Amino acid sequence: MVNAHCASLKRLFLISIAVVLGGCASTQAPTDPADPWEGMNRGVYAFNDELDRGIFRPVAELYAFVTPRPVRTCIRNVYLNIGEIWSAFNSALQQRHFDAINTVGRFMFNTTMGLGGCIDVASMNGQPRIPNDFGITLGVWGVPQGPYLVLPIIGASSVRDGAGDVVNLVGNQLDTIGMIKNVPLRNSLWGLDFVVRREALLTVSKTVDSTALDPYSFIRDAYLQRREAQVLGDPDAQALPDYEDYEDVKADEKTLGIVPEKSP
Amino acid sequence: MSVVFQLSGQRRFGTQLSVWLLMALAIVFGCQAAAAAPNPQDPPPVFVQAVADELLSVLKADPAVRKQDVSRINEIVQAYVMPYVNFEKTTRLSAGKHWRDATPEQRAALVEAFRSTLVRTYAGALSKIDNGTSMEVLTFRGDENAKDVVVRSSVVQGTNVQPIRIDYRLEKTPEGWRIYDLNVENIWLIQNYRGQFSQEINRSGIDGLIAALNKRNNQ
Repeated sequence: MVNAHCASLKRLFLISIAVVLGGCASTQAPTDPADPWEGMNRGVYAFNDELDRGIFRPVAELYAFVTPRPVRTCIRNVYLNIGEIWSAFNSALQQRHFDAINTVGRFMFNTTMGLGGCIDVASMNGQPRIPNDFGITLGVWGVPQGPYLVLPIIGASSVRDGAGDVVNLVGNQLDTIGMIKNVPLRNSLWGLDFVVRREALLTVSKTVDSTALDPYSFIRDAYLQRREAQVLGDPDAQALPDYEDYEDVKADEKTLGIVPEKSP
Repeated sequence: MSVVFQLSGQRRFGTQLSVWLLMALAIVFGCQAAAAAPNPQDPPPVFVQAVADELLSVLKADPAVRKQDVSRINEIVQAYVMPYVNFEKTTRLSAGKHWRDATPEQRAALVEAFRSTLVRTYAGALSKIDNGTSMEVLTFRGDENAKDVVVRSSVVQGTNVQPIRIDYRLEKTPEGWRIYDLNVENIWLIQNYRGQFSQEINRSGIDGLIAALNKRNNQ
């Protein structure tokens, strides 16, 4: 039994290496300057996608099937509530003191009135969650995003956010669930956390599947945009995307007597 | 606690009591939120709130929406969304520099294919709209005299679920305000499609992009 388990793990590991190397070897020219490692990233993405379709997604769907929605919401809220302390700490590190105070307030309010975080009473009273993590902190401190990076299992990330995730793991997991001494209980809670996170994304992945022209770049562009906005913080302080508008180009060229360049 | 919440400057939502009272009133008078039809000449926040209220009341009253009947959702979008949207601009900005190479026929086909894609994208979300769903426009901090503004809103879906942040970008036209871009949880729609559009056009041309969109629409 144990041997079979090891063998399958070993096979998975070998496949992952092969996929990553295969991705590296592909000659696809990167099209986005934010994603110079596109070939390798696409390899890891394909590997994650296989793993997700084979294991994680079915498990999350099973969980959604057997657990009533209010119970799922409650469990998800409890996990999010535990994470508030780390979010608040990061808001403080970023000098976003209002966010830090509001997040601590949320934690106290939801832990008591919201029955251990099960009910998000703070959101109902007009204080929505302010997600924060160490990757954002690094960004606020001036560390650039770096190349886009798809991590095995975790998925979309970047060099900066990947480094941030190592600190997040220590700050958010080892200091909370990680403190539980009972190993089976601790590991079960971590496993459940993973399933709960995946379940929350089921509708998103369905949408991406059915509407994205290229799910890989859809996820990449969304991820980079969202992280950038989170680093900048206050939405009113953010510059709006400046799209080039080619509405009148043709007319202008005609009036000026210039022949528009032809695409190959 | 409430002091802390007010400090943040967030708009407080109505108390449970006033919600119940409103619902009771609605039942007594047997009317759906009798909001006036959206007027594009109104200030942007008023206009966006009116568009959302009208759309929500239509969606809530229609049982076909809950069954994700895409053709019915299409009709509703056509009647209650498209008049207030400059979708040609949405498509044009998504296509970027490739737009100038497209013929008028290709442009029309691309606009239609993209519109169908987005209707399908949001059909799932729209089918989850129930009586607990509402959209509150947040305090407008932009300049109402500008030609290009952003209206922020918070969508509440049920009681124990995180509200979703949705921002609308509008431009001033001679006919009044028109929405042309949408931001859901920090992701702008046009920005998120630009990369994919240009990738597909570079690979297989504008017709290839139209075909790729339509292929997914017909699945």
